[in-house]
Amino acid sequence: MSINDLPVLSALRTKMQWHQERQRVLSENVSNSDTPKFRPRDLVEPKLDRSGAVTGSMGPLALTRTSGSHMTPSGAASGFDQNKNAGFEPRPAGNAVNLEEEMMKAASNQMDYAAATSLYSKSLHLLKTAIGKA
Amino acid sequence: MANDSSDFARSMAIATSGLRAQAGRMRVISENIANADSTAQTIGGDPYRRKVPTFSSALDRTLDAQVVTLGRIKPDQSNFRVKYEPNNPVADAAGNVKYPNVNSVVEMTDMRDAQRSYEANLNIISATRRMIQRTLDILKS
Repeated sequence: MSINDLPVLSALRTKMQWHQERQRVLSENVSNSDTPKFRPRDLVEPKLDRSGAVTGSMGPLALTRTSGSHMTPSGAASGFDQNKNAGFEPRPAGNAVNLEEEMMKAASNQMDYAAATSLYSKSLHLLKTAIGKA
Repeated sequence: MANDSSDFARSMAIATSGLRAQAGRMRVISENIANADSTAQTIGGDPYRRKVPTFSSALDRTLDAQVVTLGRIKPDQSNFRVKYEPNNPVADAAGNVKYPNVNSVVEMTDMRDAQRSYEANLNIISATRRMIQRTLDILKS
């Protein structure tokens, strides 16, 4: 088993990738804060199981078949959170980006990312201690 | 399609497109304010017409993301201000002079809005840079 396959490291890596992607989505929202008819988007929180694998609503999701006679769905559901019940009313131009809310999200995203990277380096440090290199 | 390692670079590029669009908007606003009192060159002619910037969201294929671009700059079709100044060289037969349809209060509020959006985009860039720094810190530990 390689070091990268350790559950704690792979879970943290998944979390870091998620924060990286979320930063991109938030960046899109902020840069389009004056575009007419633009709706802000956000990512759905990933859910990790005990082994660090993603189990929740992240990544390509299969559609659920409600009847056996339906065709097998091929498309994947969106991993975006459309955030329908938060924020303010859209402005007359149809733009619903709220800069303060986006700034808050960017700040919390950055802090969570910092926490994940700290935990990652602590875990690496622990491994070094275990092999007697620290 | 950008690869995974440049995700942060994509965030920065998207925020940069926002900076560029807001800077373009500031240029239009400053043009309007500068021309707020200019009159026509000819007698009874039309003066400067206020310009309105438009924004549109476009898919950047190299970034695979929705960036913002400054769209067409459209003229504001509202009426010109008219002042009675019979001594003005460009006054018409009735002694009226047309002034641009620029309202400095509207321009000022627009300017504040542009400034605020610009700062928000800058904020995203610095947040992303701090995140990159955190990633590099893993190597140092």
